[in-house]
Amino acid sequence: MIFRAVEDADLIRQAARGSVESYNLLVSRWEKRVYNYLLRMTANREDALDLTQDVFLKAYQNLRKLDDPGRFAAWLYRIAHNEAFSMFRKRRPETDVDELEPTPTETRVTVGGSSVFPMELSLAVSGALGRLSAEQREAVVLKIYQGFKFEEMAEILSCPVSTIKSRLYTALELLKTELAPVKARGVS
Amino acid sequence: MSCSPFDLKEYFLKELPIPQAAQVEDHVNMCSGCREELDRLQLTEAALFSLRDEEIPQRIAFVSDKIFEPSPIRRWLSAFWGQSARLGFASAAMLSAAIVFSSVNQPAPAPTPGPAAIQKVAAVAPTPEEIQARIDAAVAKSVDQALKQSEKSKQLVADLTRANEQGQAMLLRAMGEIEILQKHAQVQKIANSTLPPPPTGEDK
Repeated sequence: MIFRAVEDADLIRQAARGSVESYNLLVSRWEKRVYNYLLRMTANREDALDLTQDVFLKAYQNLRKLDDPGRFAAWLYRIAHNEAFSMFRKRRPETDVDELEPTPTETRVTVGGSSVFPMELSLAVSGALGRLSAEQREAVVLKIYQGFKFEEMAEILSCPVSTIKSRLYTALELLKTELAPVKARGVS
Repeated sequence: MSCSPFDLKEYFLKELPIPQAAQVEDHVNMCSGCREELDRLQLTEAALFSLRDEEIPQRIAFVSDKIFEPSPIRRWLSAFWGQSARLGFASAAMLSAAIVFSSVNQPAPAPTPGPAAIQKVAAVAPTPEEIQARIDAAVAKSVDQALKQSEKSKQLVADLTRANEQGQAMLLRAMGEIEILQKHAQVQKIANSTLPPPPTGEDK
């Protein structure tokens, strides 16, 4: 992990000096994580891919503004967060940001009308995530799927740790009510 | 509501320091309510992980994208230093090095001749008679060369005149032949007009 962090920092410095090859390597390391974060936020593969492209484009254009290469991950996810919520606002401009929900009616992730997650549990999870607010879902994705610490999440989302905890705990209560029984049935 | 000494969700989310996490573990082992709550959280997490990470459907690469090329200034600087300027700079550097090298290794200048040497040179200077003799020789040589050149010119003029005369003679001969041919043609024409028409099959 230390070597990886050092290598990332070196790549960031080289990319900031204009090395496209270094940036490509950096992208190859982070594109899957960013894509899956955006996929779970948008519940749409095309949107997630487009946003991922935009995220790495903006990251490259602003790489010199990153003072500390050690904070690259939080900085990159901050860009991804901004891109996702910018898209939500464009699609539903009349809605307050706090009430934004990217998939208000869908209960599962679909692409071109075909089911992406055919299993019952996966459908239940997709539906449960879709019923969370965008902020709650984002807290779950960043914590459970992406493994960020509270402090990192606070940096990404530009809000206090207490707010992060509140969103996450509320989301966990909702998910627990929906998913724990389903999972328990599957286990038994 | 959990009765755990520390936040059970923070323990579940691995946000507690190790000593506090150990206390929560001890508590959970003894408290069935907290044990069940932790089980439900873990079941929820397991359910969430049924959504696996997907591979990105299309790799994101920037090597060939124009937008990811360096800025125009950077490109210009790169081209500037990559081409003629670098060559020019290298040439100038080599020239400078050569100048410095030659100035360092140049032999000391020869000492300037003193008065004795001047007297020696004056002593070996030619007399007016010798100078006149050399001038006369040079003039004679020049005159000789001019005469030879004049003879060559006369020869060339004579060759040209002879070639001109030959050309004129050929032209006269050609004109005479043309006149003879014209006369033959005239005679033939007159003969054709005065002769009777050739006999036909009806005469037989």
